[in-house]
Amino acid sequence: MSAAALTAVVAVGGVVACLAVLLAPARGRHVLAGALTAALGGIGVALGATVITSGLAPAHLGWLIPLAGVTVAGDATSGLFIVVTGAVAVAVGVYSPGYTRHARQSRASLATVPVFVAAMLLLPLAASVTTFLAAWELMALTSLVLVLTDHRRPETRQAGLTYAVMTQLGFLALVLALATFAAGAHTESFAGMQRAASTLSPGLRAAVFLLSLVGFGSKAGLLPLHAWLARAHPEAPSPVSALLSAAMVNMGIYGMLRVDVALLGPGPRWWGLVLVLVGAATAVYAVLQASVANDLKRLLAFSTSENMGLITVGLGAALLLSAAHNRFAAQVAMTAALLHVANHAAFKTLGFLAAGSVVASTGVRDLDRLGGLARRMPATTVLFGVAALGASALPLGAGFVSEWLLLQGLIHTLPASGVMLALAMPLAVGAVALTAGLGVAAMVKAFGVGFLARPRSDEAANAPEAGASMLAGASIAALACAVLAVAPAILSRTLTHVLTALPATSGQQPPRLGVLLRLPGIAGSLSPALLALALAGAVLVTVVVAGWGSRRRPAPRPAVLWGCGGPALTPRMQYTSSSFAEPLQRVFDDLLRPDTDVDVSHLSESRYLLAKVSYRSVIVDAIEQRVYRPVLRAIAAVADVVRRGHTGSIHVYLAYGALGLLIVLMVAQ
Amino acid sequence: MGMLGRIRRGGRAAEPAPELPTRLDIAPALRGSLALRHVDAGSCNGCEIEISQCFSSVYDAERYGVRLVASPRHADGLLVTGVVTRNMSAALLATYEATPDPKVVIAIGDCARDCGMFAGGPGVEGAVHDVVPVDLEVPGCPPTPEQIIKALRQITGR
Repeated sequence: MSAAALTAVVAVGGVVACLAVLLAPARGRHVLAGALTAALGGIGVALGATVITSGLAPAHLGWLIPLAGVTVAGDATSGLFIVVTGAVAVAVGVYSPGYTRHARQSRASLATVPVFVAAMLLLPLAASVTTFLAAWELMALTSLVLVLTDHRRPETRQAGLTYAVMTQLGFLALVLALATFAAGAHTESFAGMQRAASTLSPGLRAAVFLLSLVGFGSKAGLLPLHAWLARAHPEAPSPVSALLSAAMVNMGIYGMLRVDVALLGPGPRWWGLVLVLVGAATAVYAVLQASVANDLKRLLAFSTSENMGLITVGLGAALLLSAAHNRFAAQVAMTAALLHVANHAAFKTLGFLAAGSVVASTGVRDLDRLGGLARRMPATTVLFGVAALGASALPLGAGFVSEWLLLQGLIHTLPASGVMLALAMPLAVGAVALTAGLGVAAMVKAFGVGFLARPRSDEAANAPEAGASMLAGASIAALACAVLAVAPAILSRTLTHVLTALPATSGQQPPRLGVLLRLPGIAGSLSPALLALALAGAVLVTVVVAGWGSRRRPAPRPAVLWGCGGPALTPRMQYTSSSFAEPLQRVFDDLLRPDTDVDVSHLSESRYLLAKVSYRSVIVDAIEQRVYRPVLRAIAAVADVVRRGHTGSIHVYLAYGALGLLIVLMVAQ
Repeated sequence: MGMLGRIRRGGRAAEPAPELPTRLDIAPALRGSLALRHVDAGSCNGCEIEISQCFSSVYDAERYGVRLVASPRHADGLLVTGVVTRNMSAALLATYEATPDPKVVIAIGDCARDCGMFAGGPGVEGAVHDVVPVDLEVPGCPPTPEQIIKALRQITGR
């Protein structure tokens, strides 16, 4: 089928699926919703693949949105993001029937999922400001409904409110940015805006860039607009968390690519520098928060913010290097960013789906009350392990190749590239390296404390293994992780298409992601497939040699767990999530600002004897406390002033209306 | 010249080892390498000082294949010092149980052999052989490092 037909199928399919779920009888509703979401995702993957190879010819449907109409077009960049979104939707669709059997999901919430998926699939095809903003807002509103699925809990309502405010503020910034851009270009079609971009004044372009960065950054969870992400993603049902964390945040990256890089670019150097700085700060801050988080899903949500930061560093480095005429390194950085979008989507889908299985089986998200799941839920443990390996950027993990490419791009800046690059790039390398290291710590904590050792609560001790549909859905994501980790070459052609289409990276031979990753112009190559083969060989040799060496081994005998000669060990003696992260918390005390209280009460007879010691440690988002609070207080103060004008008299309100109209007339004159 | 070449040319620079004592046939499987877990069952720390001297640069017991390890799970045997006090007897037994077979137990010092001057004390459970089977005993209060190393070399045969 042609790309245009597939686009129509996705658009109509989203609406039909929504109606079908609404009208379906309660018994089969969750299965139907899952099947339709998976089917929609499958069509999305086909659509994306078609768009990557042959593009989507520009089409204008005047009747669909009044006044402006709908304009769609697609290139390889759109196709890449559509494929990623579709693949996430397939895994989530297969997974969700099993999950919703455990955790009830309301009819409205189930029916919203297909619309949300369709909005995300169509957003990259938007080719005019109106279409883009309409799809963007549809995505934002449907995701808000999904976040509020469990609206009876006060935490969820609070998270939903935070998300609603921040996403709408981001939308406002986007409207301002794109409207300013369109007004300057005298057209609202992306093709026309791209032609007119170079004629805009530098000040206007800078304003558009900064405003759009606020809008897209708030969606991607970049600092300082990240606060909603770590609240809303954990509160949503886990399949929805996977959609939000693996697909929706990507749209922020897509927006930056489309508007700031493709339409507005090539820009001055400081654009790239801003992106690198924001991305690096986000990555380091978010990974720190992830490594001290005690809630499994909150940890994963912060990891999402971290990875979006890394992708932004890649984007910014590509712009910066391209402006410095270092096209080879620019291409490597851009390849890293795009590849990381796909890799992150794979391992984060898997992470949230596996975490969802844990939540469905135990009802617990607190790492300090989990543990010992490896015996009770072996398949889920393996699946989460694959996700954790991917998120830790170690070889054979899904995130390794892209982070390696990112470092290659950052390291190989020519010495002659100028003072700004010479200062920014080493710092960015440091930030990426620190992020990778702390990311390992965070994932070791999530896997080690959450799944290994002994159960810390009855819920964890009696957890049943996840159902077949949940395991199947997560296995799809695990397969994607494995393929991307061992053979990133499958994305090679796609990335070549994207890189040649973007102005920052066109005109050179792009890096080749074959069996051996070759980076033209840079002395560096890597072969993930050979690495995997070597590791498998080493494991095989070790097993054979060890088996041969211990062939006369006496029969094993059961023994008591060694407790240093003391009495039997209890689960309370294990590392907890908090104690594992304590050294990190101590090192980064100034940044994390933990709120720690130790209460010691003595016996009444003697101050040398203790009656009770209570320890309480809460880690709050320091940026949220420091930056958001003053802003909210200021808004509340202004609102108090404005409230004096609300007298309740209809005459005064009519006068306000007339005054407003007069002002508009005077300005528009 | 590389580091390896320098090492090869320099060879070993150490005092010649004392004469090899005759090997005891306690645990043939442990010949050549012996990892020991030290258990202080109630010692005055005199034997501990001598044991730590055994592993110092002067006596260097490690060149005879003996090592001290941090857990009985990693050990081939136990190096027990002192009388077995009541508070430590269960721990000694648990440590013995936790050591994988084949294993040896070496009692160091007079207290470990026959309770020494603490015999009949109120908190004393008995000598080491009253609690766990002992393979080798080193007399002395405290035994000198030479005596301890000689005993250990009787097992490793190096």
